Amino acid sequence: MLFSVFLLAAAATAMAAQADQWIHVRVVSSDSKGETVSVNVPMSFAEKIIPTICADKFHGGKVKFHGDMNDVDLRALFEAIRTTPDNEFVTVKSRDEDVRVAKSGGNLLIHVQEKHGDKHTLGDKVEVKVPLSVVAALLSGNKDELDIAAGIRALSAMGPVELVNVNDNSETVRVWTDTRSSSD
Amino acid sequence: MHPVAIKASTVVLAVVASMMGTAAVVTYDAGAVRVSVVEKGPKGEHVNVFVPAILVPVALGVIPAKHFHTHDAEARKWLPMLKVVSEELERCPDATLVEVKSPDEHVKIAKRGNAVVIDVDDPGETVHVSFPVGVVRTVIDKLEGGNAGSYPPV
Repeated sequence: MLFSVFLLAAAATAMAAQADQWIHVRVVSSDSKGETVSVNVPMSFAEKIIPTICADKFHGGKVKFHGDMNDVDLRALFEAIRTTPDNEFVTVKSRDEDVRVAKSGGNLLIHVQEKHGDKHTLGDKVEVKVPLSVVAALLSGNKDELDIAAGIRALSAMGPVELVNVNDNSETVRVWTDTRSSSD
Repeated sequence: MHPVAIKASTVVLAVVASMMGTAAVVTYDAGAVRVSVVEKGPKGEHVNVFVPAILVPVALGVIPAKHFHTHDAEARKWLPMLKVVSEELERCPDATLVEVKSPDEHVKIAKRGNAVVIDVDDPGETVHVSFPVGVVRTVIDKLEGGNAGSYPPV
């Protein structure tokens, strides 16, 4: 009896792990037209297609960056963050904006809140949450490139993730992953 | 009528009926390319096109491969991606892949069964296009054949 329950639990876990992850993008415009754009794509679909895209600096699922970024050792920076306990790394509070970069629960969190100085009203708000395993995968290629395909693979191996939330005066943007095929 | 003649006509009818039945089953199984455009307004025109998908490879087969060759390198480099898209669409579960809603326009691209369904509803017209995913693959294969060796492998 106990063995059967164990088998059922193992099968359920395996099925849950195999459930296809979907990446969703939703852009809601708050202007008079009130346009809403929804994109829902299976992660497996993205995993296969990204390596085939051949654009300006994007080849084989990897994007090359040139210029200033060559002077920054992203891997060393990431390694330092990865091995550090949860903490706030950057906190900037100014008249124009608040910026916060932190590590929490295995995620890199970036929070930007714009302010309209004189009016004391809030402006654009950006929140980005990237699992550190995804960052590691992104940085798994050569020094001057980001391995987007590896990042997508790492992301699809995870559970639901709220990746990006942008709220500004004209639109809201949300990017997230889950196992549902719709974004409703 | 002579009994032999009756039997012969019955056999011919049975053969024709079974051929039509087989054709219907094959057509149903392969799906169809449907295009429907309904213009709005009192003088709006209606256009309906229905082509059994099974005819697409036949039609493409009679066009020489050289006519599928594109000299535009920019266009050619997207062929590998389109091929993977067509393959992955077949595996993709039913879902609304892209939807754009605004007060005066609604665009939806969805996967339904083995078909891709595109619906556009705007103030001027309503457009419905659906085609089996296999048709996309057939067209991409033909384009690939016409441009063999002229783009980098994936």
